[in-house]
Amino acid sequence: MESYQYLIDYFENSPTIIKVVWVASSIFIIIIILLVIYLKYLRGHLRKNEKIVTKHQKEYESYLISYLYAGNEEEEISEEQQAIIDKLKSCAVDEFKRRIIVSTLLRLRNEISGEMAEAIQKLYFQSGLISYALSQLKSKKWYIVAKGIRELTQFHVKEVHDEIVNFVNHPKKEIRKEVQLYLVTLFHFEGLKFLDVLQTHLSEWDQIQLLEVLQHFENQELPNIKPWLKSTNDSVVTFALKLAKIYNQFEAKDAIMQLLAHQQKVIRVDAINALSHLQVVEAKDILKNNFDKLSLEEQITFFKLLENMYETSDEPFLLDHVTHINFEIKLSALKTLKILNIEKFKSLNEISDEPDYVKIFNFIEHN
Amino acid sequence: MNTSTVQIILLIIHLLFFIYAFFAIGSYVILAIISTIETKEYMKKNSFVNYKEIMSSTISPSISIIAPAYNESLNIIENVRSLLSSHYVNYDVFIINDGSKDDSLEKLIKAYDLVKVDFLINQQIPTKPIRAGVFKSTNPAFEKLTVVDKENGGKADALNMGLNISNNNYVACIDVDCLLLENALQKMIKPFLEVTEETVIATGGVIRIANSCIIKDGKLLDVNFPKKWIVQAQILEYLRAFLLGRMAWSRLNGLLVISGAFGLFNKKIAIEVGGYDTNTVGEDMEIIVRLRRHMEEQKLKYKVAYIPDPLCWTEAPDNYKIFISQRNRWTRGTIETLRKHRKIAFNSKYKSLGLLSYPYWLFFERLAPVIEVIGIIYFVILMALNEVRWDYTVAFTVLAYLFAVLFSIVAIFSEELTFHQYKKKGTGFKLIVISILEPFVLHPFILYAAIRGNMDYYFNKKKKWGEMTRKGMAKAKKNN
Repeated sequence: MESYQYLIDYFENSPTIIKVVWVASSIFIIIIILLVIYLKYLRGHLRKNEKIVTKHQKEYESYLISYLYAGNEEEEISEEQQAIIDKLKSCAVDEFKRRIIVSTLLRLRNEISGEMAEAIQKLYFQSGLISYALSQLKSKKWYIVAKGIRELTQFHVKEVHDEIVNFVNHPKKEIRKEVQLYLVTLFHFEGLKFLDVLQTHLSEWDQIQLLEVLQHFENQELPNIKPWLKSTNDSVVTFALKLAKIYNQFEAKDAIMQLLAHQQKVIRVDAINALSHLQVVEAKDILKNNFDKLSLEEQITFFKLLENMYETSDEPFLLDHVTHINFEIKLSALKTLKILNIEKFKSLNEISDEPDYVKIFNFIEHN
Repeated sequence: MNTSTVQIILLIIHLLFFIYAFFAIGSYVILAIISTIETKEYMKKNSFVNYKEIMSSTISPSISIIAPAYNESLNIIENVRSLLSSHYVNYDVFIINDGSKDDSLEKLIKAYDLVKVDFLINQQIPTKPIRAGVFKSTNPAFEKLTVVDKENGGKADALNMGLNISNNNYVACIDVDCLLLENALQKMIKPFLEVTEETVIATGGVIRIANSCIIKDGKLLDVNFPKKWIVQAQILEYLRAFLLGRMAWSRLNGLLVISGAFGLFNKKIAIEVGGYDTNTVGEDMEIIVRLRRHMEEQKLKYKVAYIPDPLCWTEAPDNYKIFISQRNRWTRGTIETLRKHRKIAFNSKYKSLGLLSYPYWLFFERLAPVIEVIGIIYFVILMALNEVRWDYTVAFTVLAYLFAVLFSIVAIFSEELTFHQYKKKGTGFKLIVISILEPFVLHPFILYAAIRGNMDYYFNKKKKWGEMTRKGMAKAKKNN
């Protein structure tokens, strides 16, 4: 009791700053104790959550399997099926449970095919889950809208196309990406029409994703890409060049050739790459005649093009550049020359004693 | 001097210490708040990312993993297997055997069916010459692997060799003993492909401690919490640094360091600035500062990105001798880098780099141990003069200690709410215990190592890397 009183006296007689420090320390102690208690709860909750999720998953899985086998030919929905739909409907009110139902539906649908998969798709509508996804589109929070679009994509809900298209130029890139994936996943190459109106940048990451999705479709008929090659949105042009390469769009070669004069270097480089891939021989002379005006990157890419479509007539040009200051150009010129005219190549053995030249020459000679 | 003058001087000293502590604590709190917001945002955005498409796409950009190895014979086979098990499609692995004196090369040749090949290297950055040659595997299963055997030149020199030899636009510079998760490359490449308004020059990843974890065939199977306090305390320290510090610096575009254990670089720009500096022991920090300086001087928009996911796991020192040696080197690396780039300091031409990042590192990283030691010496003098105000001493010490504990607990929370790696029952309690003990079991040694680092920097210029004995992550479990 005495020491307790001593502490009170000590505190009361201390300077203000000491009082403040002790008060702060007391607050820290209280926060630490509360956090420790909460941490214990949180860790327990996280562990428990995993178990609950597994339990619900099993429960919903058994509902779904029962649903799939409870159908009969007389009724569109059997009594047993209706009971399951009602159960799912009541569970779906809870967001946590709804998430598990949706993920279980998706997992099951991806594991099966044919009529069964269609039945699951139907169940998504019957259980009212679609209305939750649609309502998410109206949310003010970007991640809820994105989640909604993703779910509609996963369940192939084509009917909301017009609503989704409104988000094409949404300021949040996550939403734009989901919209693009929705359109391409559900409407395949037709879905690419969003490129006509896209005002924002289509990142390299997004482009790769879209191209990967497109490659999964049986019908690989690409619409006319020329308007995209002429787009004022540089990222659309880059994407169109990728499409031209992957889908061998030889008919777009004139539009691609025009891009050799594009103001963006990166597009000019991509255009040379595309022309090289499509083996557009006409591009060679244009590039050769402007070679000195090209940036180093374009020059290197052009030499890669030459490696791909060399002709005897290129020999003088190659000879002019075997001692180019750039390592890659030197390498490319000598490599191509060796293929074109081995005797000429051998005669170049001693034209330069520059270390890089000697190294490249020896390497090409022996490989 | 009369008594009042002495008292004024003492008051000024006290005030300076107080102001320093106030700003240090203030900056930690601000960084922690920004980090928390940023991590939350990252987690939300990341939930919409589909890494599978990028991983399997043949048009995704190619990445070269460059891993320097010096006398790593004990674990080299296992480590290379781990590097070869990435799920990313377009990547290759360059092991740069930096003049190892052990049988690393022989082991690699045998294990991976390597044969010597002719390899043309564009020597854009000067390095020590090739020793035994360049080796590729005859086994198609290991076609991604290239081993370069060169004369010893240090880690930076080996990394420069990797920059020269790689044909890809992106290079992941990593420590060979690190364990990369299978999805590490696709996560690290994302900022390079996603950020459109500025050029991403490098991406840094989080380093997690693998001591006691179960690793098999180069894969992380189970995350365990180590038994040794020194390792536990380092786990806590890493959580604080990565979850409550670097995430904020990334948000402020002020990251000055990417851990040398794992970073992904835009190769073209890394070569443009001359690659790694071979004259420093802090080459990981130095290259980032130089890259940033280069971009600022060129007036180019840029970003050093940061990925908070636990992608790279490494073995941490489990004894104080090695720990002190490691921290000594980190201190010297920081001093060398800050001195070399002192032009940046408080220079508005370098914007936030000169006015925010550099000053922060100077005051709260470089000078913090020095000021702490000055404080201790000053306290001892006051004790000798019987001038200590014990009521102040006790109150402020308790407050500082409680703040340290609270800050660690916040870091634990951040981990639990995001990546939740330490799931096992009882680990939460251990983390709390180590938060309470860490100021006693780790901090004094960090301080000692930093002072030794300062002394070595000024008085022992010959000192270079120091020792780092590996037990091997697969074997570490038994000992920790």
